[in-house]
Amino acid sequence: MSHSLHRYGSVENLKNDFCIYSRAARGVNRENCGEKLRRILEIYLSSDAVNFGSSHSGKCYLAGLDLEEYAKSLDNSYGIIATFSDRKDVLNALKKMKMAKLGISTVVSGLIDEVKSIAEEAGLQPHTALLSLGIHGKRSVLPEDEILEIVTMCGHSLISPRLVRSVLEKIQNEEISPKEGALQLTRPCSCGIFNTTRCQTLVEKRPKTQQEGRCRE
Amino acid sequence: MHCILEEDEEVLIDQDECVECGVCLHTEVCPTDAIYRPEESFVYPRAIRMQMSDPSAQHPAFKAWGRGTEEAKTNDVTGKFGHGEYGMLFEFGRPVTGTRLTEVQKITRAVCGLGIEIIEENPVFGLLEDKQTGLIRKEFLQEKVLSIILEIRFGADRLAEVVEKILPLLDDVDTVVSLGLVTRFDDKGELSVIQDLEALNVPVRPNAKINVGLGRPLIK
Repeated sequence: MSHSLHRYGSVENLKNDFCIYSRAARGVNRENCGEKLRRILEIYLSSDAVNFGSSHSGKCYLAGLDLEEYAKSLDNSYGIIATFSDRKDVLNALKKMKMAKLGISTVVSGLIDEVKSIAEEAGLQPHTALLSLGIHGKRSVLPEDEILEIVTMCGHSLISPRLVRSVLEKIQNEEISPKEGALQLTRPCSCGIFNTTRCQTLVEKRPKTQQEGRCRE
Repeated sequence: MHCILEEDEEVLIDQDECVECGVCLHTEVCPTDAIYRPEESFVYPRAIRMQMSDPSAQHPAFKAWGRGTEEAKTNDVTGKFGHGEYGMLFEFGRPVTGTRLTEVQKITRAVCGLGIEIIEENPVFGLLEDKQTGLIRKEFLQEKVLSIILEIRFGADRLAEVVEKILPLLDDVDTVVSLGLVTRFDDKGELSVIQDLEALNVPVRPNAKINVGLGRPLIK
C-alpha cells in the first residue's frame, strides 16, 4: 500500500508525525495471526496512539470504529496500523513490541533520522527502507502546498482538496474549531493514518488572512 | 475527481470520471441516501476501479485490501528485495488526481523495453496482456482509478539507467506519479543509495517508511 509514505510537508511540521504498521506476511506468518494483532492493538492503545482504523470496515477509530468489534475482526485481517504524534510514544510502542516477541514485520513512517534514532534506542536494527522520491509528472494539477500537507495524510487520497478548503473556510469563519475541523477531515480516511494532531497544528499555524487557491495552474 | 456534478436542482455522478472510491457511500454524506453502487461497478473491466480505489474492496487474486503491494513492509521475512537490489514504486494518480491506465502503460512499456522486471505479486502484473512488451489488456486502458502502483525490481548497477531512461518519461504522463524506492540498510545501518540518487539529481524526501526488523524468522 505504501500509503503512509508520501506525506508532504517540511522537516519541522513532519517531526511529530509517525505511523506504525505491523503486517503478517503471506506464506510466512499470516496464518492465525489474529491473536498477535490483538496484542499489537493493545500495545498501540497503551502507547497513546492518536488514531487507528480499518480499511475493510471503512471507518477509523476517531470516526466511530467500534473497538471491541474491530478487535474481533482481526481474526480475518493481516495488518494493523496506528498514528502517533510524539516520539516518546513511538519509542514506547517499539520497546513493548520487541519485548512481546510477536515476530510480525513492522514499519515506522516518519523522518528518516528520527525513526533510525528511535529504532536504535529501542534496540532494533532497521532492515529495509522505502524512500520517497517525491511527486513527478503533471504537478500543475496539484493543490497548493498547505492543502497538500493535509490531503497526503491519507495515502489512499480519499480526502479531497475541496473538502479541505471547505473545512478551512469554516474554521476561518469560526463556525468550527481547528480540532473539530481535523475530526471532520479524518472521516474519509478509513485506515486511521490521518494525524488529527498534526492537522490541528497546521491549521492553527495558518495565517488568518490566507486566501484559498484552486490549484497550481 | 470532478465526478460529482450539480445540474439545476440535481446532483449527479459522472460515471466515466468516478473511480469507485466509495467515499460518498462510506461517509454517508447524501441527505436523502440516494447514492448506491450499481451492478456494473462489480463487472469487469469496470470492477478494477473499485479494487484499486476503495481500500475496503479486496483484490480477488491477492485477497488484500488497498492496492496490494507488500514492498518493504514484510521484507524482513520475505527477502523480496535483497542486498544489491532496489525496488521502485510508481504510484500513478497519487495524490488526489486519479489516472487512466493508458498512463500506466506508457511506463510499463518502457520498463519492459529495458528488460526490467515488473514484480509479479502486484495487481498491475495481472493487467498485462504481454509480459514482454508491457502492453496492458485493451479492455482496461480507459478505466480510471484513484491510484495504482507499478512495482519494479532491478540490480543496484542499473539505478542510473532507470533514472536516466524511465524518470524523464514521467514528464509526459497525464497525471501525477508519487515515486518510491525500496532499499536494504547496509551493514553499518546506512542508506548509501541516498547519496547515489542525489548525485543523479533525484531528490530524496526526508521522510520514509522503515522496516525496523521485528519480523521472524528474520532474513538477514
